[in-house]
Amino acid sequence: MDERLSVLVLDDEPIVGRRLQPALAKIGCDVEIFEAPGPALERLKEKAFHIVVTDIRMDDMDGIEVLERVMERNPETRVIMITGYATVEMAREAEAKGAFDFIAKPFKPQELRDVIAKAADSLGFHGVAHAAVPDVP
Amino acid sequence: MAEPSLTGAPEPGEVSSAEKALLQRPSFGIRARLALGFLAFFLLAAAVTAAAWIMLSRLEVRLKFLEVADRYTLEIQQARRFEKNYFLYGTNLQDVQEHVANARKLLGSSEAEVFKVLSAADLRRMRDHLDRYEALIQSLVEMEKNAPADRAAKQAAVEVEVRAHGSQMVSFAMELSQKERNSVNQTLALFKRLPVAFLIVLLLLVAFIVNFLARQMLGPLSRLMATAQRIATGDFTPITPARKYRDEFSDLAVALNTMMREVAHRQEILVQSHKLRAVGTLTAGVAHELNNPINNIMLTAEMLKEDYTTLSDAERLEMVDDLVGEAGRSQKIVRNLLDFAREGEMETESLDMAELLRRTAGLAANQIKLTGAKILMDIPENLPPVYGDKQSLSQVFLNLLLNALDAVQKGGSVRISAGGGKEDPGYVSVRVSDDGHGIPPHVLPYIFDPFFTTKSKGKGTGLGLSVSLGIVRQHGGDIRVQSSPQEGTTFTVLLPAAMVPGLGERPC
Ligand SMILES: Nc1ncnc2c1ncn2[C@@H]1O[C@H](COP(=O)(O)OP(=O)(O)OP(=O)(O)O)[C@@H](O)[C@H]1O
Ligand SMILES: [Mg+2]
Repeated sequence: MDERLSVLVLDDEPIVGRRLQPALAKIGCDVEIFEAPGPALERLKEKAFHIVVTDIRMDDMDGIEVLERVMERNPETRVIMITGYATVEMAREAEAKGAFDFIAKPFKPQELRDVIAKAADSLGFHGVAHAAVPDVP
Repeated sequence: MAEPSLTGAPEPGEVSSAEKALLQRPSFGIRARLALGFLAFFLLAAAVTAAAWIMLSRLEVRLKFLEVADRYTLEIQQARRFEKNYFLYGTNLQDVQEHVANARKLLGSSEAEVFKVLSAADLRRMRDHLDRYEALIQSLVEMEKNAPADRAAKQAAVEVEVRAHGSQMVSFAMELSQKERNSVNQTLALFKRLPVAFLIVLLLLVAFIVNFLARQMLGPLSRLMATAQRIATGDFTPITPARKYRDEFSDLAVALNTMMREVAHRQEILVQSHKLRAVGTLTAGVAHELNNPINNIMLTAEMLKEDYTTLSDAERLEMVDDLVGEAGRSQKIVRNLLDFAREGEMETESLDMAELLRRTAGLAANQIKLTGAKILMDIPENLPPVYGDKQSLSQVFLNLLLNALDAVQKGGSVRISAGGGKEDPGYVSVRVSDDGHGIPPHVLPYIFDPFFTTKSKGKGTGLGLSVSLGIVRQHGGDIRVQSSPQEGTTFTVLLPAAMVPGLGERPC
């Protein structure tokens, strides 16, 4: 398959974006990083991403709302929610609203890569992610 | 503790010294005072009785004397009548002598007791008169017997003397009894006045004793009443002696001091346990808050490890800087909570309210995020400082903030504002207002009661406001509330402003 996996990462912690950008690029994803929901939603209007990774809790707008917007626009997109402590209720709500999977903070880059690989599988990108995972010394 | 300006927790030493001072005074109980008062009554009554007794017995003697004096006068008058008959009609002198003898008998017999009322001179004159008269009559009798030649002439001479003397004697006796009668009347008049005087003295004594007892009993009573009111406002300064003597009220004061110490101690425990509860509430939020820096550290460390060999030095340095920064961020989050949770003595210091409020809002930062509420801080920079305990005041504002967060809907707002207290000069006022569901009027009177809560079990203990009010009152302040179900709730905390160091403290 020629098409590369497009991933949008939304988290209001700048360091998260800075670290995930190279981590995901390594497995052959086109990564776009956003720190605020507003610009991210703008971008989502322009482009249908394969995968959206969003923090479930942010200052301006929470991840659930982002999830809703993405699902409205492109139900095919796989949305992975980054959850924190004490947001079990929200996680349940997100699941009902069509979230693909969850990953709890704090997580390792590899854990996210595994979830993304799973999502890619479900989209038909077979072997993409797994192949790109380097051996960790 | 250098400045015991907080009245909440009396030092053990302070209490025991107050108790010692209360008990060390000489004892002069209410019983002794009452006994003393009634003893005064008794002594007055006894004095009046004794005076009456003495006066009455004097009167008795006088009256007896008057009786004797009257009889004496009568005898003399009889003697004189017979004497007159003798000179006019030549009757015998025997009757005269008889009456004179009777008079002498009266004078002699009752001399001892009755005639004490007379002066010695008067008595002597009376007796002299009688002697002289008797002697004259005797000479007349002699003359009768011997019948001398010049009898008529001699008789005439004696007659003149007898007559003069007799009339003198009678008038003296009558004068005397008249004098005595006057004096008896005087005594009676005095006697009539005695009960009036007694009544007046009694009235004065009663007035004095009533006044004394009032001062001795009502004084301490009203003082204890004031103390009770003071305790109700949360001021637990021990009672110190105000009078010289110890009495039953002193024991009550000691008991009250003990009670205050106990209550203060319990309140401290309550404050502490509620604080731990608040810490529990915050911990969940803090754990969540910690997730972010930990996540950042985890991702950064993992990527550093993964790409160590391919990264440039600058990139590696940037990542290490991130690690250090995020570790510092975690430390800050935890330190604020630990500072708050730390169990410590109450310590008074000059507090910058703006700083305190910012720190408190910081403590609840995650609770605020969870609620999705907006926090607006409106704190002027030139607020006067407040003397108080940082931890417990922080606890007060945290309780109010958590209550507000419980009340607002998602997207609601909580406003924290402070001012110099224009309505209450000398106070710093801090307002925590929310646009939440408000407090219904029928609930409003109870919200400061301990254990009153409208929240579900496990969510609220109902101690927050009660503990907060206790703390604020210890600082000499007050909490006011305004609420309506449409507009939300505003809590106003008033704390005495410290204009000059030391002036903000309350006199103990
Ligand atoms: N800002 C507010 N808005 C609406 N109601 C309030 C507010 N603050 C307090 N109340 C009412 O007052 C009651 C008593 O408050 P308090 O802080 O004493 O106890 P609590 O909050 O129920 O329990 P705790 O503080 O121990 O968690 C609350 O249950 C609530 O009904
Ligand atoms: Mg409360």
